Amino acid sequence: MRRYIVGQLVQLVVVLFGISILAFGILHVLGDPVLLLLPQNAGKEEFERYRHLLGLDRPLYVQYWKFLSRAVLGDFGKSWYADTPAFRLVLERMPPTIYLTLSGLVVALLIALPLGTLAALRRHTWIDSLCTAVAVAGQAVPIFWLGIMMIIVFSVRLRFLPASGYDSWQNFLMPSFCLGAALAPITMRLVRSGVIEVMNMEFIKTARAKGLAEGRVVVKHAFRNACIPVITVLGLQFGQLLGGAIITETVFAWPGVATLTVESIRNQDFPVVQCAVVLLALLIVAVNLIVDLVVGFIDPRIHAS
Amino acid sequence: MPRDRVSTPTRLELAGIAAGPAPAAPSHAAAWRRLLRLRWGVAAGIVLLGIVLAAVFAPLIAPHDPLAVDIRHRLTPPAWMDHGTPEHLLGTDPVGRDLLARMIYGGRVSLVVGVASVLMSTTIGVLLGLGAGYFGGRTDWTIMTIINVMLTFPFVLLALAVIAVLGASLFNMIIVLGVAGWPIYARVVRAETLAIRERDFVVAGRALGMGHLRLIFRQIAPNLLSTIVVIATLQVAQVIVLESFLSFLGLGVQPPTPAWGNMLGEGRLYMLNSWWIATFPGLAIFVTTLAINLMGNALRDWLDPHLKL
Amino acid sequence: MARAVTLGSLVLLALTLLMPADILAQTKDETIVYALQSDVQNWDPPNSVLRESIILGYNVFDHLAARDLKTGKVGPSLAISWKALDDTTWEVKLRRGVKFHDGTPFGAKDVKASFDRVLNPENKLTARGNHAKIKSVEVVDDSTVHFKTDGPYPLFVERLTALVMQSEKVMKEKGHEWMQDNPVGTGPYKLQKWMKKQEHQLVRNDDYWGPKPAFKYVRIRIIPEQATQIAELISGGVDIIKAVPPDQMDVINKSGQARTATSPILRTAMLQLDQAGRSGPNPMQDKRVRLAANLAVDIDGIIKHVLNGLADRTATTVNPMAFGFDPGLKPYKQDLAQAKKLLAEAGYPSGLEVGFLRSQPVVEPGVIQTSDAIVADLAKAGIRTKARMVGESGPFTNLIRDSKADPIFEFSWGYYSIFDADAIFFDVMTCNQPYSYYCNKAFDDLVIQGRSTLELKKRAEIYAKAQKLIHDDAAYLFKWGLRGVWGLSNRIEYEAPRDEVDRMWAVTARKK
Repeated sequence: MRRYIVGQLVQLVVVLFGISILAFGILHVLGDPVLLLLPQNAGKEEFERYRHLLGLDRPLYVQYWKFLSRAVLGDFGKSWYADTPAFRLVLERMPPTIYLTLSGLVVALLIALPLGTLAALRRHTWIDSLCTAVAVAGQAVPIFWLGIMMIIVFSVRLRFLPASGYDSWQNFLMPSFCLGAALAPITMRLVRSGVIEVMNMEFIKTARAKGLAEGRVVVKHAFRNACIPVITVLGLQFGQLLGGAIITETVFAWPGVATLTVESIRNQDFPVVQCAVVLLALLIVAVNLIVDLVVGFIDPRIHAS
Repeated sequence: MPRDRVSTPTRLELAGIAAGPAPAAPSHAAAWRRLLRLRWGVAAGIVLLGIVLAAVFAPLIAPHDPLAVDIRHRLTPPAWMDHGTPEHLLGTDPVGRDLLARMIYGGRVSLVVGVASVLMSTTIGVLLGLGAGYFGGRTDWTIMTIINVMLTFPFVLLALAVIAVLGASLFNMIIVLGVAGWPIYARVVRAETLAIRERDFVVAGRALGMGHLRLIFRQIAPNLLSTIVVIATLQVAQVIVLESFLSFLGLGVQPPTPAWGNMLGEGRLYMLNSWWIATFPGLAIFVTTLAINLMGNALRDWLDPHLKL
Repeated sequence: MARAVTLGSLVLLALTLLMPADILAQTKDETIVYALQSDVQNWDPPNSVLRESIILGYNVFDHLAARDLKTGKVGPSLAISWKALDDTTWEVKLRRGVKFHDGTPFGAKDVKASFDRVLNPENKLTARGNHAKIKSVEVVDDSTVHFKTDGPYPLFVERLTALVMQSEKVMKEKGHEWMQDNPVGTGPYKLQKWMKKQEHQLVRNDDYWGPKPAFKYVRIRIIPEQATQIAELISGGVDIIKAVPPDQMDVINKSGQARTATSPILRTAMLQLDQAGRSGPNPMQDKRVRLAANLAVDIDGIIKHVLNGLADRTATTVNPMAFGFDPGLKPYKQDLAQAKKLLAEAGYPSGLEVGFLRSQPVVEPGVIQTSDAIVADLAKAGIRTKARMVGESGPFTNLIRDSKADPIFEFSWGYYSIFDADAIFFDVMTCNQPYSYYCNKAFDDLVIQGRSTLELKKRAEIYAKAQKLIHDDAAYLFKWGLRGVWGLSNRIEYEAPRDEVDRMWAVTARKK
């Protein structure tokens, strides 16, 4: 067990390094911050001066080291437009994004768990085919399209949900449903596969042979074991979920990290974009780590080794 | 990790499950279902072919120049509605450009971006995956780490970050999506390469003194073809949706070049009165994505139904 | 295990439901909700050129004088009277008993401090150019101030409506940085909270010296997408939206929940052409190219078909409502043949490529469609533009200010709500102003003359000459004076302001 945890932590550190390199590389290697900062008609001396000021004339690894040492302390520089530290801006916008992601997860589960289990249990029947068909069609609907349609139906035509904003629980309904519905198809399929696999397992057959009622077999044994892969999968899906949240946020003008990132891209405000990318990646890594550790605890095989 | 009880899905399996349900063991009902599913795939393939042909022959088919501004005929509804005209079958946009023409040309953008970036991802991913799986050791470790790091970022986030620096354009999008997408292939190819590497014919080949490159490309790679084709097909759909999202945000293909995504973005304001401007592009994205997914599923079933993909 | 999962999900659900932000202890009846498309960069009006800053400033601060919307005349506000003692001295008497939001009494020292702060070149405040004719401000006693001007200053009274009065105590004790986020004014509302890029919350100043606002709270919500603003208006989430696109007016009017109100406004739109070469050497430096651009476009057609008639054509940059407007000067009529001829003469027989900096419709409704139409017309003459789109107004204006714009760029000017030709000429068309890409010495001379005499007839003549000059020189691609379109919820009464300043204290509840 201990070896497992250590292994996970080592992987974590390596991935973190990788992320920092990627984030650094995107801004400093691909783009030229000075060109973006200065007015067009600034003379050559101005360019050289700024380059020196920002430390861009130093070798790349020195710049990287500066970036990394500051980033670890939370210093990503100041936003070029808002004159506040990028880190603070991004951090302020994290909670709405996290809450949206979580509520989207809840909705996806609420849809996918019952439907996926049903499809698995009634395999090869019309119910299964219907669920599958709905899932395939659902996967093809672009999330942002779904969001726009929901606003029109529920806010403008029916007038019972607010079109945007972040004041009360009603504001959560549409975005989380949109996100959840967008992720439900694939989640449903995963649940279905998981349950099918479990249902075919030896111990289920044993339970049946023992004469236990089907219902009890399902709930007590199958479900319990199917949870492991489902939870792992959901954890791994966190990245996807966050990706979906990014899209949903922009449609509903949600005050989260994604809308901040998109705005900052439009304004060419790189410190904020860089900070947002790093923090979001950190979030995903953290969640993956937690999931891996939890699975490590639950999964008896790892426990034993 | 030993996997005798309940298996924790690998990302490979995830990719496959994302594609569609694995077919059942052969039996009467199962064979029938397999054929039926193939029928869906064929139908989807025909639809897709239609879309591709329309895109390729756009200059011949399109009723108007998609960039022709005509403010006297702006916001005309589709032909079957009041004030509609057969001149503009699907209506016109806020500056009078024909919607049908723009839809057809928009298909070009989606397909070009989809195919080009997937080709790019596939090439990079397969090469790196083969390298990692075949050579093992430090090469493998390095490549695996890079894969893990990149898979941590949601596709969408990576794309946004790179567009931020490179700027929004068709070409940049292809690059971004191509570069962001290779880890999936690399991972799968690596796993398969590792398995195949120990097979008899490869070991024999090495004993006979065959060069590495020859072994890789002549012996190992062909076995991966079906896997790669299926994943690539499904990736095209994903890339098309992503491209339309970026264009919708204004960070992809720039107007006036028609792309389904930016047409959706422009039309958003008009949803309450001139709804056709955003609805038809949205429908196009949906139909194309659905067709590709169905075809991808069918392809997987056909190429090797026992493939646990 | 299943139980654990269920419990877990319930916990998650509960957490989510308890989540959201500040639940405001205000009722809907006491609150007006006003939507802005983009947020201000600071709460220091002299330090911003954005229309949003001016609007917000009016609600939290007061000026020395204020315009009466019905008569259009400038009347007293913090100043109760003024008179010219001589050609270069004005005496202004101040209202007594006024307090700042922090309780400090308002007096002459604050007037002096506010003006000194703006006029000091070291502070680099954007409003400096507006008041540059004031040489010095002297405190005579607590309610009397003398202004010394640099020569006769005909716009003195108009410009009294253009500078907010800030507290000297705050300037001394808290400093510039603090003032960017914390406005301390004498106005009808106080800033309660600012969630950047999201929302401002204002609360009524119950000690206000003037008419008491009907609504206790104002929520200013930043909603960048126009589609969302309209959806919010119709669904009741917002009470006032501005810059409604003409194409969407029918949606609002048919909704039964809201209506539109229009008014001609001072804001004038144009495409600036880089005659001065600020963005680098470019074809627009040649007069023939600029003329060709003006002749290529069917502006009247665009107003009729794209804006549904909601704009007033202008021959130059002067708005029909501004003093000095010359109705006798006729705008250019579309003439593609002549345009092509001019381009050939200028050395571009097969046309040319040029960059075009564009923005979102934040203050100019329908600008995407109108610019698309203009681009198409220009292309017909051979001027092929390459668009560069920058979303938010702050960064867009920064690019212009920093000489990083393209040879053609969208521009509009609200005149700082001063109904006078000088209010646009000086800032937008004289040499070396931050937002001016035109430089013509003869024109500059005329502008200086115009602002140096107090005689109305003489000024009108000078301005007529000036307009002819820039018209013939095709200084910019001239467009039109805008008509403001507001979307108003049916639960309020509000009159569309022709100086584009939304006065929250003037909003009242509609009688059922």
